[in-house]
Order: sequence, then structure tokens, then C-alpha cells
Amino acid sequence: MKSFAYVSARDVPTAVSAIAGSPNAKFLGGGTNLVDLMRGNIEQPDTIVDITRLPLTGVDLLPDGGVRIGALVRNSHLAAHPLIRSRYPVLSQAILLGASAQLRNMATVGGNLLQRTRCLYFYDTAAACNKRAPGSGCDAIGGFNRNHAILGVSDNCLATHPSDMCVALAMLDATVEVESTRGVRRIPMNEFHVLPGDTPHVETSLAADELVTAVELPSVAVAANSRYRKVRDRASYAFALVSVAAALEVTGTTVTQVRLALGGVSAKPWRATKAEEVLLGAPATEESFRQAAAAELAAATARPGNEFKIGLAERTIVAVLRELVTKGDAA
Amino acid sequence: MTTTVATQGGIGTNAQRPDGALKARGEFAYSSDLWHEDMVWGVTLRSPHPYARITSIDITEALRVPGVQAVLTHEDVPGTNIYGLEHPDQPVLAEDVVRYQGEPVALVAADHPETARRAMKRIEVAYEVLPPVVNTEDAAHGRAEPLHPNGNVVRHVKVRHGPQDVRADVVVTGEYEVGMQDQAFLGPESGLAVPADDGSVDLYIATQWLHADQRQIAVALGLPPEKVRLTLSGVGGAFGGREDLSMQVHACMLALRTGKPVKMVYNREESFYGHVHRHPARMYYEHGATRNGKIVYVKARIYLDGGAYASSTGAVVANAATLGVGPYDVPSVTVDCWGVYTNNPPCGAMRGFGAVQAAFAYESQMDRLADAVGLDPVEVRIRNAMSEGAVMPTGQVVDSPAPVVELLTLVRDKPLPAKGNDLTDMPGGVSNTTHGEGVVRGVGYGVSIKNVGFSDSFDDYSTVRVRLSVIGGQAVASVHTAAVEVGQGLVTVLQQITRTELGVDVVTIEPMDTSIGDAGSTSASRQTYVTGGALRAACAAVRAALFERIGHTDLPLDHDKIVEVLGTDVIDEVVEWRHRPTYRLDPETGQGNAHVQYAFAAHRAVVDVDVELGLVKVVELVCAQDVGKAINPEAVLGQIQGGTAQGLGLAVMEEIQLADGKIRNPSFTDYLIPTVLDMPPMVIDVLERPDPHAPYGLRGVGEPPTISSTPAIVAAIRAATGMALTRVPVRPEHITETS
Ligand SMILES: Cc1cc2nc3c(=O)[nH]c(=O)nc-3n(C[C@H](O)[C@H](O)[C@H](O)COP(=O)(O)OP(=O)(O)OC[C@H]3O[C@@H](n4cnc5c(N)ncnc54)[C@H](O)[C@@H]3O)c2cc1C
Ligand code: SF4
Repeated sequence: MKSFAYVSARDVPTAVSAIAGSPNAKFLGGGTNLVDLMRGNIEQPDTIVDITRLPLTGVDLLPDGGVRIGALVRNSHLAAHPLIRSRYPVLSQAILLGASAQLRNMATVGGNLLQRTRCLYFYDTAAACNKRAPGSGCDAIGGFNRNHAILGVSDNCLATHPSDMCVALAMLDATVEVESTRGVRRIPMNEFHVLPGDTPHVETSLAADELVTAVELPSVAVAANSRYRKVRDRASYAFALVSVAAALEVTGTTVTQVRLALGGVSAKPWRATKAEEVLLGAPATEESFRQAAAAELAAATARPGNEFKIGLAERTIVAVLRELVTKGDAA
Repeated sequence: MTTTVATQGGIGTNAQRPDGALKARGEFAYSSDLWHEDMVWGVTLRSPHPYARITSIDITEALRVPGVQAVLTHEDVPGTNIYGLEHPDQPVLAEDVVRYQGEPVALVAADHPETARRAMKRIEVAYEVLPPVVNTEDAAHGRAEPLHPNGNVVRHVKVRHGPQDVRADVVVTGEYEVGMQDQAFLGPESGLAVPADDGSVDLYIATQWLHADQRQIAVALGLPPEKVRLTLSGVGGAFGGREDLSMQVHACMLALRTGKPVKMVYNREESFYGHVHRHPARMYYEHGATRNGKIVYVKARIYLDGGAYASSTGAVVANAATLGVGPYDVPSVTVDCWGVYTNNPPCGAMRGFGAVQAAFAYESQMDRLADAVGLDPVEVRIRNAMSEGAVMPTGQVVDSPAPVVELLTLVRDKPLPAKGNDLTDMPGGVSNTTHGEGVVRGVGYGVSIKNVGFSDSFDDYSTVRVRLSVIGGQAVASVHTAAVEVGQGLVTVLQQITRTELGVDVVTIEPMDTSIGDAGSTSASRQTYVTGGALRAACAAVRAALFERIGHTDLPLDHDKIVEVLGTDVIDEVVEWRHRPTYRLDPETGQGNAHVQYAFAAHRAVVDVDVELGLVKVVELVCAQDVGKAINPEAVLGQIQGGTAQGLGLAVMEEIQLADGKIRNPSFTDYLIPTVLDMPPMVIDVLERPDPHAPYGLRGVGEPPTISSTPAIVAAIRAATGMALTRVPVRPEHITETS
């Protein structure tokens, strides 16, 4: 690990000016991702700005019925919060299916948004990786890429964003609030993470000196009938091969509202807008679900190692929708 | 450290483990807890390349780092820079070539581990990278560049039994593959070397075989063995992965050079590079049978990837070959098994030792045969099952109970579990992947055979010293041996045997070290048998000495009698004990009485498979195993559960992912081992059919359950899905056929 300076910030202005002053600085949330990366010399910040004492730990109901979540709320706290459990069960489920209880106790909302890929070559400093060392190449392309992306990939990078929480946030149309010495910005969740293109080392639209202060969830009535499914190699404590966050409203036999997002398939939580278009107004049948899933995955590109994810994603989408119909009927 | 326990309990009881409570409370001192005033820290620079020529090593910059005490390369190896468990072929530190990713190249000692790591990064090694040899079959058949002077075949074992080239009415063939499994012990490699003024060294280390380590270290250090003293430190699991040297020589070299105690601890990633793994296998099988399902012949070609250095590949090959048709009567056997060098990570001992790979293939074949002749999978196994008196493919007669039919019947006849309705009972578990829709149930069987102890003419023995004395009015027996406790419960078993043999309650197990003779490795399911046998003999010698004092021999011994007879005397007996000899396999025919004992286990697996998503939930595992005599019944259950879980891991998730010789997943985030949510409840039957040749009639316990659980689980998944599934671990994409 490289030596670094340590700064602890007690309020937001101190935090953002600390980082503005040092070009190669990083915020420290729960540290469950950053510290691992520093140990492996993948991240080598000169300065660490510890933000765990910032007063950004509230989960509050907004006047418009939405919910505002402070960036330093711990993952376990958020998953257990009554407002989340009752209004956005999908978010609570997604968080609880990620990592382990110990990690969730440490991990923060901001850190979860900004956690980095689990690409095995990204972690191996001897491997070529455009994300870690821009321009060095991508060993995953001809190598072991079973866990890699199938949507929105480029010839420079196939990495996925590993978060479960973010898939639910994308489905819920969350907004990320960020702050720097230049002021406050609000970034729609769908624009927060960016596709690799020619610059896989750029993962979000956040500037280096910006602090995530909060995530806001709009009021989403359909979220009451929502579900997160995660397909993985082991029953607990493993990253998603594919995951699906979905919410569905069926009136009579017609889909009247639908939201769908996929995890484990792209460098960002993948909002499945094509599938949503196919579904909206369509009959709530297995047939429509299949068509919707196929429409979304038509643009998928896979390598021999991760080809299975296309079919897996399709079947998982269908299975979740099917379940939401049954559940919606019962409710 | 001396453990003294006054628990009651001789053999056949569930005597309490002396280390149990400490381990449960987190107070047990593992080797990673070792500490010495004034110690420095050692680290290892390893090759990033699977195959490369080293053109230069420059340590100048590393030596300049403040706090660095020594930087060593192959030039500093004081003795012979070559070692190996069975066959010396591995350098202590690489000279002009590296043959696997992770091969040690240089060592650094510094006053802080971080300083040592930073200095290590300043060592400049120039490599000329070469294309790695990774194809096992090419390596076996001379189609790859030779990586060692004698070519790439470490060993080729041929077994020719009965008439060759026979024909049969029903023929089933198959090609099977087993991925590379890791022992995944929880306590990474660690040790502490302490130099002495006379140029000798003491090494405190977590290992499986103190004397084999000592012999190899002494040669590498150029010291007589008595100048290299080893003491066992707390071992956090082994499973074969500690049978070869890791840091042993390195720590001693650094200690002798710096004159200071040197501690080395691998982290999890380094541990993946620091020990051997289970041989990946590719296997081609052909079974010929009658229309009634009686096997007529088995032909097999088995390729085991030994990786860069021999380790125990030779013995693993012999096991896979001689046990390659399973616990069945087969009149005609033609097996060829190769173990080869490649530039993959070295492979060697892991629980099941060659029998695991073969069992996946022969049990898969038995299911194919059952299908082909229209029989139930248990029925076809029963029709072919061996029994006492059977002749092995090596010509060896099985001269102790072989209750294969009984084991199969026991697991078959257990009631089947009901369908679960809790989420944790479902494939995908709490991941919410299904609530029962698309879920198909399957049932599968597996049965295994494993040799116990060292084979193939190896002089397999153990040494035990027992001292009987009276301390404060209490008779106390102390047991000294170099047989190591790796977590399996040997210390408990030694106490139990001593209590039974001598009638004393208080049995002290002395630290395990090399100040006494060799006890052999804690592997091959052998310590209760061999060191247990030696201890029984040592106790008999102590008893004889006592009786001599009394003057007659027909008294039952009890505590008060011992105290009265012994007074202030001490009886001290050392015994070296060996089991029946084994013999070399004939190199052309593989014939010979190569094994001393066989052990058997059978499993039934019940799985629920989400066929849409390819997820498997193992719902229940039933196991029946013959242990001859359960010295500690609860410890036996623990071995069966643990072994079964390791087999489950191989069946559905555990694999070291290799790409061009490089390990892609050297972490427990990416190398998945089963958690409690993956491991189902077990129903276990323990049979006790005594082996008349073994102490107390016992049989080795640790390995058989690992062997049969994998094929049983895969058979169950096949039954649920109708898929062929010829490779383990089985992954979702294999079940959904999307890859
Ligand atoms: C073994 C293991 C298994 C895991 N499994 C899963 C899983 O199954 N699913 C899943 O979703 N996740 C999983 N995770 C990842 C886990 O969710 C993340 O590590 C965690 O959410 C990161 O949060 P943190 O607060 O610890 O972030 P940190 O490690 O503190 O920070 C991560 C990054 O975010 C930046 N950062 C933190 N807070 C802010 C902020 N407020 N503003 C701007 N930048 C910020 C940091 O500078 C750093 O770059 C796993 C992690 C581990 C170690
Ligand atoms: S996929 Fe992306 S993260 Fe992985 S090696 Fe390629 S560039 Fe790096």
C-alpha cells in the first residue's frame, strides 16, 4: 500500500474543500471497497478524506411522498428502514442480497454507488486493463470473462458494475445529489454511471472533487408490487451473474405500469427501457414477457465465456414478471 | 505448551477435544499468532509469469530501503537449491527459469511487513516470457516443450487386469473433466524461524508432516537434520495443501542470514500461490457390460495435470489408476493414467488424492450403464459391487470387510425428504430466485473406494513415546509424537487410546516436534490407524513394564494400582510401529499388493434444480460409511460432514479459474466455497465392520466421504434435468445449456 495523508471531515464544506485542494484524493466511506483496492495497489490516493463523521445519515420522508437518503447511511440500516421496507421493498431486497451482513454494516450508500468492478483482471496489477491503466489493453476480452458484461460493452472494456442496490435505484428513477466547492448538482440515476466507450476508467459522471451527499427516491406507487431477483453461483455472499429489479401494475389483463432494470450485465445498472416499451399496454402474458426480454437483449453482445448470460437474463426477466403478475393478483 | 485434560473417555466415547473450547472461543493460538521479541518479517517475491526465463535479478534498490535486513535470491540458498516431497525437482528460489505463476524468486526480511513488501517491489527481475504449456494431453504425449530434463511425464501407471480386448453387448463411453479445486483451509500459511547461536534453527510451523519438512529443509540449508528442529504450531486446516513445503526453507534462510527470528504469513491471495491444488483431470472411459448390467470390462485413460513441479503427482496417479474402476468387480481392466508437468500451478495432495477425479468418471459411467440396460442406478451398482475377498484390478485380494452393497442399500432405503417451502430450501436460496416454479427434483447416488495409508512399498510407520508417572498422587500419561493435529482431532484420539490402554484419566499430549522419530504425514486418512497403532503398541510396552514390576500379568490395571506400583518411578517407552508392508506396482501391468487398507462410503443426494435459471439446491445428503471402529463417534460424523461439504463444493462451485496458466480468482470473493446455506442437513449411518489387520479394527475416515458426494450430487442434477453434465463444477450455464 502506498503512503497517504489522512483527513477527517466533520461537515460537508470541510470535506469538499479538502478534496478540492488535493488532486489525487479519495473519500473514505465504509472502506469495504476502497481499502481492498488500496491494499492491492489498484487505487493509490495521496490523501484520504474520511467522511464517516458527516451528518448525512438520515432517511427522511419528503413532502412529495419521496424519500431522501443521506449518503452515509449504512447499507444494513437502509435495508431495514421501515420507510424503505414498506414503500420500496425492491431496494431493501436488493441490498440484503448483496455482500454479507458484516460488509453491509460498514458499507455506505455513497460507497455502494461508487464501488468498482469485480473484473478479475482489474484486480491483477500484472494484467492489461484499460480501466486501471488506460491504454494498456483489456485482458478480459480474450481471457476469463464469464462474469462480464453483455450490454453496452465496448472493445476497450467488458466490466460490469457489481452493485445490487444500484439496480433497484435505477429501476426507481432515483436522483443522486452531489456537492463540491462549486455547488450542488442533481444527477438522474440513469446518468450517474456511464458506459465504457473509449474511456473505461471514467465510470460515473461525478467529478473527482464531488461528494455524493444524498440519494432521493421519487414516490413510486407501483414499487409496492416490486421484486429483486439475483442469480448467482452460491446461495449467499456472491456477486450477481444476472439480477433483475422489476415493478409491475396490471389492470385487467393489460400491463399499465412497468419498470425493469438489470444487474450484472453492464457497466451501469441497466434500465431496460426497450422491454418496458414492449410491455406497456401489452397483455400481461408469458408471451409478452418473452418478447420484452428478447427486445431488451437483442442488442446484447457476448463472448464465448459469458454468452450464457443472454439467455439467463431473458429467463430471469420472464420469471420475475410472471411472479409479479401472480403476486399482484393475490394482493 | 502442554495440554492437560482430565476428561473421562476412552475409545468409542465422544471424548471432548482438548482444543475444542479454545477454538470455539477464538483463543486457540494458530501459527499466524506466533510472536517473538525482536522478530523481523519475511516476504516472498513471486513470478508474475507462468513460464519465463530469468535474465537478471537486481536487488540493489531493495537493499537500500531503510529497515530492510536481508534480500536473498537463489545464490543465497546455502545447500542444494532443489526439493520435493517425493521427487526433488523444485527450486527453493528460482534460478534461470520460472515454471508457474507465483513461483518464489526472492526473499526480503525487514523490521515491518509493509517495509518488506515495499522493498520487494524494488527488486528488478528481468524475464523473457515464454509461451506456457497448459495442455495436459499434449504434455503426456510428447507434443509439448519439455519443462524438465526427463520430459513432461511425471508418471504413467498402467493397469492390465484379466483378459484384454474383450467385447461386450452393452458399451457406454464418456469423457469427463474435473476442474482444479483448492483446499481452501482457513488459516493461511504461516511460520516463525528462530536462529540459534550454533548455526542451527528452530522452525515453528503449521504443516502436515514435520519430518518430511525437516529432511527437505536440511538439504536446502546444507545442515544436518538435527540442526533443523521443527515444532508444530496451531494449524488452521490442511486437506493436503500443507504436505509440500511453502515458506519453510525461506523463513529459515532469512533467520540464519539476519540472525533474528523471522515470521512469515501469507495472505489469502498468496496462499493460492503458496500451496498445491487438486489435480484437474480429463478422463476417457469405456464400460462394457452384459445386458443384465454386469460389467465385463473397463477401459480408461486418465490425464492429471500436475502443474509445474512433481509434488505428490506420482502417488496421485497410482491412486487414480488402481482405484480407477471404483468399488466394483471388474474382470477385465485396462487403465492408463498419466500425471504430467505443465506451466499450471503445481498440484499435489488434496483430500481424496486421485480417487476423487476417477470416482466422478466411473460413477458417471455407472449411471450411463444403468440407463443403457434399463436398471435403477443403485441396482446396477449392487450387481457389480465388490465384497470381501474381491480381487482388485491390481490383483490384490481385499482381505477385510467391503460392505459396498450394505452401504448402498442403507442410503437408498432412507425416506426421501419432503419438498421444502421455505425460501432457504429453494435453488438460489434467499436470493429470491424462485418460489418453487420451474423447480425439478432429482435423486442421485455415488459410492467410493479409497486406500488408507501410504502405498506402493512406502515404509509407512509412526513413532510414539509414552511416559507414565505419578504427579501429585495422580497417574499421568504423557504422549509424545511427531504426528500432527491439523484440526481433525488426532489429539483427542491419542488421549482416548491412552486412557483405554492404561486406565489413566489424565493424558497429556506433548508438543508435536522433531525431537522424536518420524510419524509420517497427517494425510491419506492414516494417523488414527498408524500413529494410533504405534500408540497402542507403546501403551502395551508401558503396561508390560508395569506388570514386570508387579510380577504377574493378569491384573486389570486401574488408577490406584498404577499409583501404588509406580511410586516416584517413571516408565518411558518409545515404539516405532508399522503396518503390513505394501508392494510396488509392476510398471507394465500395475499388478501388486499396493495398498494396505480400503475404505468405502456411499452417498445419496437429493437436489432441487431451477431448470430455467440453472440453479441447484442440494436438499439433502445421506451418507453411509464403514469406519471399522469409531474411536470417537462424533469426530467421525464431523469428518463425514466436512468431507461431504468439500465434495459438494467441487460438484457445484469450487474451481480455480485458469487462463494461460494464471490463476484468475485467488480470493474467497471469487473462489467460492459452500456456506452453511449451501450445505444441507445430513443423515449419516456409520458402520463398524472391523478390519482384522488394523488396530481396533478401525478404518481411515477422512477421505471417502469427499469422494462419493460429488458424483452423487451431479447424478441427482442429471436426474432432474436430463443433461449429460460431464464436467465439475456444474454451473448454471451447463444446466441451461447456454454455454
Ligand atoms: C467480499 C465482498 C462481497 C461483496 N458482495 C457484494 C454484492 O454481492 N453485491 C453488492 O452490491 N456489493 C457487494 N460488495 C460491495 C459492497 O457493497 C461495497 O464494497 C460497498 O457498498 C462500498 O461501500 P463503502 O462505504 O464501504 O465504500 P468505500 O470503500 O468507502 O468507497 C468506495 C468508493 O466510493 C467512494 N465514495 C464513498 N463515499 C462517497 C461519497 N459520499 N461521495 C463520493 N465518493 C464516495 C470512495 O472514494 C471509493 O472510491 C461486496 C464487497 C465485498 C468486499
Ligand atoms: S474488462 Fe474492463 S476492467 Fe476488466 S480488464 Fe478489461 S478493461 Fe479492465
